[in-house]
Amino acid sequence: MRSTIAICFSVILAAGACTSTARTTDEGVYDPLEPLNRGIYAFNEVADKVVVAPAANVYKTATPAVARKGVGNFLRNLGSPVVFVNNVLQGDMDGAGTTAYRFGVNTVFGGLGLFDLAEGDGFEHRGEDFGQTLAVWGVPEGPYLVLPFLGPSNLRDTVGQGVDTAFDPLTWTEFESDENLDDHIAVGRTVLGALNARIALDGTLETIREQPEPYVAMRRAYTAQREADVRNGQEDPNAYEDLPDFDDFE
Amino acid sequence: MKTDWDDKAMTRFSLKAFLISGLASVFLAAPALADETTEAYVEENANIVLDTLNDPALDSAARTAAFETYMDQFTDLGAVSRFVIGRYSREFSEAEMAEYQAAFRKYALAVYENQLDTYRGERVEVLGSVDRSARDSIVNTRIPRSDGQAMDVRWRVLNRNGEYQVVDVALNIEGNLLWLAIEQRAQFIALLDRTRGSSQALVAKITEMTAELEATKRTDTTFDAVAEADEARIVSGEE
Repeated sequence: MRSTIAICFSVILAAGACTSTARTTDEGVYDPLEPLNRGIYAFNEVADKVVVAPAANVYKTATPAVARKGVGNFLRNLGSPVVFVNNVLQGDMDGAGTTAYRFGVNTVFGGLGLFDLAEGDGFEHRGEDFGQTLAVWGVPEGPYLVLPFLGPSNLRDTVGQGVDTAFDPLTWTEFESDENLDDHIAVGRTVLGALNARIALDGTLETIREQPEPYVAMRRAYTAQREADVRNGQEDPNAYEDLPDFDDFE
Repeated sequence: MKTDWDDKAMTRFSLKAFLISGLASVFLAAPALADETTEAYVEENANIVLDTLNDPALDSAARTAAFETYMDQFTDLGAVSRFVIGRYSREFSEAEMAEYQAAFRKYALAVYENQLDTYRGERVEVLGSVDRSARDSIVNTRIPRSDGQAMDVRWRVLNRNGEYQVVDVALNIEGNLLWLAIEQRAQFIALLDRTRGSSQALVAKITEMTAELEATKRTDTTFDAVAEADEARIVSGEE
């Protein structure tokens, strides 16, 4: 079953890849849509400077760090069911146990997740998503993409984001008392999550913008970090094999 | 805005260190193979460099001068400067190459001084090493930081006729091994591709980045300010 799904996704991603002229960059990232991606990257930069960063600054000024941390913990706890499903789909039962324990402890004793008590017990958060699950199943990442407002991604991760949304119980929850409450929760969750993430990314984005080629820096950073995420933060055992030779340019 | 991935990955991803620094980490699975001379070379020279940055007898200009002298011996900036522009090292004219290499040397030294300054006063501890070939080794080290964390740093060392020199340095950040020269190479070549191989464009960018680094370099008077700012963050609970 698992291999069948993986093959299906592989075919879809390969088909997506074949619709454009093949173009793999010098650093090995497949970016056939680079001109379009660069345009969206430029748009995101403007959107960030005009809207997102100012909003994040207001949020940061108006809220104490401890409150923002609590919000971050709460939102992360809300995402636990999705992480759990992906743990299971990856065959990572230890990870699934950790996620379930964290969700139970933090929900019951941590104020619905505002406080990360489980971390103190040695059960640290480790994020999983369906993009990582597909990677574990052997599905290639497909073409690099820059999504409007969302930033760097690739076809595999974009598909994964959609599937994760479908996995999320809140996506399907309706409240009898207020039929609009689920929409309000979804909007609040998205906005707060975005503001928290933008604040956390402040230094990173600043550094990327200082680089000779910020677009390339972002592409490399995203791709490398996602590869590390798929390895659950473990180092690539073949990391030294493909290092380039310095004497080629003597 | 990206939320889930950004939140969990990019936040713990010290890109600052990654993109403009030059330090690296542990190769847990591999046994120590490289000869002890390579390891001793890195340990001795890396510590000399860090000691230089922490020498209270030196003012800012003297510290930079001493640092650059050691780095010229410790690293092969000529090889690195050619490596980071790839095929363009064969396409630049002699005059273009000379201008570029002068700019690159200044930039690279500013990057190293800026980043290694974070570790001044600390000791580099060698954890082991791996031979990629008889003359190409990677030495794994650990450098503690004042905040209690430790950075895992790797040094790529070439042995040319018995002469050792570092050509690249990497950080291991959450399983992501980030090599300074390789990162620079990706971006420099992208810039050159975009500008049709213009050495002028590259030199202008490098010069601009060097000026930014120089502007943020620690002077003797800013030393106390940095320490005070660190203390304020700790007191306020941000760290």
